[in-house]
Amino acid sequence: MTSAMLEVRNLKVAFPCPGGIIRAVEGIDLATKKGECVALVGESGCGKSVTALSIMRLLRTPPSVSRVDKLELAGRDLTHRTEREMERIRGKDMAMIFQDAMTALNPVMTVGKQIDEVYRRHTNLGKKEARERTVRALELVGVPEARSRADSFPHELSGGMRQRVLIALAFACIPKLIIADEPTTSLDVTIQAQVLDVLRTMQREHGVSALLITHDLSVVANMADTVYVMYSGKIVERAAMQDLFTDPLHPYTQGLLASVPRLSDDKQAFVQIPDTVPHPMRKPTGCYFHPRCSRTSGRCEEHMPRLEALENGRQVRCWHPLREERET
Amino acid sequence: MTASGDSRNPDRLLEMENVSVNFPVKRAYPFSRKRWIQAVTDVSLGISQGETFGIVGESGCGKSTLANAMIGMVRPTAGRVRFQGEDLYTLKPKAFKAARQNMQMIFQDPYSSLNPRFTVYDIIREPLYIRGGVSETTMKDKVLELLRLVGLDEEDLYRHPSDFSGGQRQRIGIARAIILNPRFLVCDESVSGLDVSVHAQIMNLLMEIQQDLNLTYVFISHNLAVVKNVCQNMLVMYLGKVMEAGDSDTVFANPLHPYTKALLSAILDVDVSETRERILLQGDTPSPIDPPDGCRFWQRCPFAMQGCETIPAELVEIEAGHQVACHLISGFTQEQMDRGLHQPVSPQSGD
Repeated sequence: MTSAMLEVRNLKVAFPCPGGIIRAVEGIDLATKKGECVALVGESGCGKSVTALSIMRLLRTPPSVSRVDKLELAGRDLTHRTEREMERIRGKDMAMIFQDAMTALNPVMTVGKQIDEVYRRHTNLGKKEARERTVRALELVGVPEARSRADSFPHELSGGMRQRVLIALAFACIPKLIIADEPTTSLDVTIQAQVLDVLRTMQREHGVSALLITHDLSVVANMADTVYVMYSGKIVERAAMQDLFTDPLHPYTQGLLASVPRLSDDKQAFVQIPDTVPHPMRKPTGCYFHPRCSRTSGRCEEHMPRLEALENGRQVRCWHPLREERET
Repeated sequence: MTASGDSRNPDRLLEMENVSVNFPVKRAYPFSRKRWIQAVTDVSLGISQGETFGIVGESGCGKSTLANAMIGMVRPTAGRVRFQGEDLYTLKPKAFKAARQNMQMIFQDPYSSLNPRFTVYDIIREPLYIRGGVSETTMKDKVLELLRLVGLDEEDLYRHPSDFSGGQRQRIGIARAIILNPRFLVCDESVSGLDVSVHAQIMNLLMEIQQDLNLTYVFISHNLAVVKNVCQNMLVMYLGKVMEAGDSDTVFANPLHPYTKALLSAILDVDVSETRERILLQGDTPSPIDPPDGCRFWQRCPFAMQGCETIPAELVEIEAGHQVACHLISGFTQEQMDRGLHQPVSPQSGD
């Protein structure tokens, strides 16, 4: 696949701890095409954020130990770059939108200055030109009175505004890839809708590839083209967004979808997946999901299924995917 | 599970009458004008025994302050809170304490609401211990019984909160809240911070406990889908005021206030097959310090009229068990219209 913007093959990340090794990411493959929005979904502790950070090469060793067979951005290898080279790539070719805008922004620097920095660093614009670009970037993401807002400090802005500033920051140099780690989780519903709208238009208009990391399936349904479902450090299902939501193959995906409260529901008990995510140090044998799965068999307890490729680029890691009975 | 109707009903477990809560803002200069945050303004409601009552709104709209006023944690600036027919804030300290035992709260953040130095046993028995008059063995039996009820193991008794996941901690919080056999339980965003699969587990647990112990719930949430699924009656708040209230089936079937409509349309749904029309609200919630005189929502309302800015919108009963505070619905008086205010538009043309 030469058309891939981001290509990750067999990424493994582990954290050696006093009590054992935490295998946060256990060999995942990811690919995004140009202009595509790929979502990585999973519950907390499944390794989504670690994946994002290691793609950005932001994980330090120690504490982490990572290995990857291939990590390429637009055909350029990222694995052997020095920290200095990575600094030149981050912000220019790939950028990240963090979850918590309050901690991601520098509290003692005006937001304008923080965006100016991106331009000053990655382009040879002068101070004044950089500020002009900053104001334009802020206008693009819908910050009202952008010129005066650029001189405010992060704490003077509301949560939605801060998130917009982060988006402006990430899109400042129109990177090739944006990684958005839970971009709207801490926001109110109405603000979430606004921010997602901004994010989607920015991504589509500039043809930027995006890797969206979230636990919120409704965000996925409104943003993503392709979805990867992650469980305990492994990809369990990959599908186009429509296919995943209408026809999930992995029992975990099905359980996740069913447990989302919907407006169309009548009053009834919520569908739940029993038990909880296994502790990363004490993962079960065989398929990691088998203790919580309704379709489990002896085989599931002993062997981890492979990620099988199916039609339409779908992949599923399950001994008993939900399609079996339909075929027979 | 009675429908909401007459506000002076003797079977009401909890009643609030024109409750307002204001907080003073620290003055910037010694002689500057004193300013108030109007967290809750003129809210009246009635909650019957055994029902689940929902409060919805964005952050900063006064949901939590209202809940705190309900259970005696914040003294209202004006208005009355009646629990089991008695005015909560005029009770003598001893009687107040007795009433407070019947009302408990499950907090939002299971990480900060449990003392990290306490064991699970210490945390759950704390309310019983404070009330006193119970032997150590009875306390332990009671705690063990509750642990089983909320789905935790006996072995967990002497572990610390840090050993548990978010969902398990919330179970501990639930056990602590029900140990005194309360009648009334406030869940303040109790499931918002949890993962989807755990979210459903905790919701089901709460519903089971409600059935078993015949509890009355107040459910505070910004997730309308959850409120729709569990609540019989609800109110929608914005900047401290009630925008729309009533029977939740009626409100969801026929939302009338533009804010309720916007909230509903802002929910991202997982039903990919169905596309809904979206009303995107512009801007953020304004500051509750010295809010506008008129309708509090007018600055963000896509259908605002001239009069909305100055004339307060009163809560009017539109149909049985459905109240709305909006000039679009209730219209202006003849005298106000003579002053050049817009004709009211019918609710249908609002969407």
